[in-house]
Amino acid sequence: MNDAVPATADVLVDHLFRSRAGQMVAYLTRLLGPEHLDLAEEVVQEALLKALQNWPYSGIPDNPAGWLFRVARNAALDAIRHRTVVRRDVASYVSTKPDVEVALLDDAALEEQLRDDELRMVLMCCHPALSQDSRVALSLKTVGGFSTREIARAFLSDEATIAQRLVRAKRQMRESAIAFELPAGDELALRLDSALEVIYLLFNEGYTAQSGEDLVRHDLCGEALRLGRLLATSSVSTPQAHALVALMAFQAARLPARVDAAGELVLLEDQDRSLWDQKLVGLGFRHFGKCAEGTQMSTYHVQAAIAAVYAGAEQAGDINWPAILSLYDQLMEISPSPVVALNRAVAVSKVHGAQAALVALRPLVEDRTLRNYYLLPAVQGRLHLDLGDREAAADCFRRALERSCSGPEKRFLQRKLGECM
Amino acid sequence: MPSFMLLLYDDPANWANISPEDMQKAIEKYMAWGGKLRSSGVFLASHKLADDVGKVMRGKGQVRVTDGPYSETKEVLGGYYLIKAANYNEAVELSRGCPSLEYGGTVEVRQVDPMMDAA
Repeated sequence: MNDAVPATADVLVDHLFRSRAGQMVAYLTRLLGPEHLDLAEEVVQEALLKALQNWPYSGIPDNPAGWLFRVARNAALDAIRHRTVVRRDVASYVSTKPDVEVALLDDAALEEQLRDDELRMVLMCCHPALSQDSRVALSLKTVGGFSTREIARAFLSDEATIAQRLVRAKRQMRESAIAFELPAGDELALRLDSALEVIYLLFNEGYTAQSGEDLVRHDLCGEALRLGRLLATSSVSTPQAHALVALMAFQAARLPARVDAAGELVLLEDQDRSLWDQKLVGLGFRHFGKCAEGTQMSTYHVQAAIAAVYAGAEQAGDINWPAILSLYDQLMEISPSPVVALNRAVAVSKVHGAQAALVALRPLVEDRTLRNYYLLPAVQGRLHLDLGDREAAADCFRRALERSCSGPEKRFLQRKLGECM
Repeated sequence: MPSFMLLLYDDPANWANISPEDMQKAIEKYMAWGGKLRSSGVFLASHKLADDVGKVMRGKGQVRVTDGPYSETKEVLGGYYLIKAANYNEAVELSRGCPSLEYGGTVEVRQVDPMMDAA
């Protein structure tokens, strides 16, 4: 044994453990069968723990992921030998699998197989037999490698609730005998829809988190984007998957510009565009180009198109508002909601003026779903301010401040209220 | 310069519910600490001890070999570092950055008898 800590790279790829944890669970679930998901998760945790206990002394191995896979697989073999619950043929099947994991990262075919395992895992976790809450929690846990505590933090829930949800989800999974194999036809389409829904929910949950809040919430955006790309670049990809990835990439690109150095909220039109992540903008446009291949126009398509108009404008003054308004009109046709109507009203103000926008907002005031939504009075306040009616504007901002919103949002509203004085 | 042995004790319960992300962060902290020891030229060696209980040999004449030691505490000796330092104070300062401390572990600092180094 070498006495010195080997001078290998002492830096790990960001989130390596988290993403490989998901991949290893998927890989082992394929080998062991979905009924042994718990065992797969257990041995993966064990392998990661072994790394934590060894690497501080031995240094990071040349191929960290390969090391983890080998240890997890061996732990699975050990567990199988000691458990009679696992069928014998499973045990012999796993043990005859060649020890290919060491080649990991150098082997494109193997990486492809692992992506495929992950894809099946996502679609398994998004089975329509499971409740949406369960799908979300299960996806984050088994595919995303998030811990129960992290999921609880990300969803502002408590650990016991999430743990219970996961137990229930796994039981449902066993009872419904959900298979690891990819479904076909309508069943596949249904699962894909469900997966996209879960991914978008993850993204939104992370996106609404404010700067300075728990970082794990921001990680949700990254994980959603990763899962979206996994789906969009797979053999079962659909134009909707591309549209969703485009939408998320455009929005994520703007994250660094959304708050200023002091942590204050910056509106889209005031954002410093040089802060936008150009790699993500590029990714957005690449997937946006591919989402037009189908015939079906989904809400993801329209939302991605809106985000593309913003991203494509050289500066805020160049934003093509008539195009955005007509996209919001389309969105209102496909999936009307008070929030969409509210966003549409902002486009109306840019195209037809503040007065027209106020008229468009009038029916929303009565809407119960927006009753505690601060953005409605906030938008009304801005429109009144544009028209020079400071008194009405101040009244709106005060009402907005009475509704629940984050710290930066509150301060933003207070600044606006100050402008009315 | 004298050599010091840093014995790292951990309570496995501290790691029971740690997430993959946090495990990676912990490893990165160890790498940063170990990297500093190496780049400042004081690092000599480090080894992880096997997780089993080990063997204890006792007695003269008839030596008894038993499994153990079964320590009274929950902490187990995970491994050790061997470093160079001018004196105990400096060795303790170098050990302060050891992430085991941050995670609730114990670091025992023992000087290799200077007679050994003199030889």
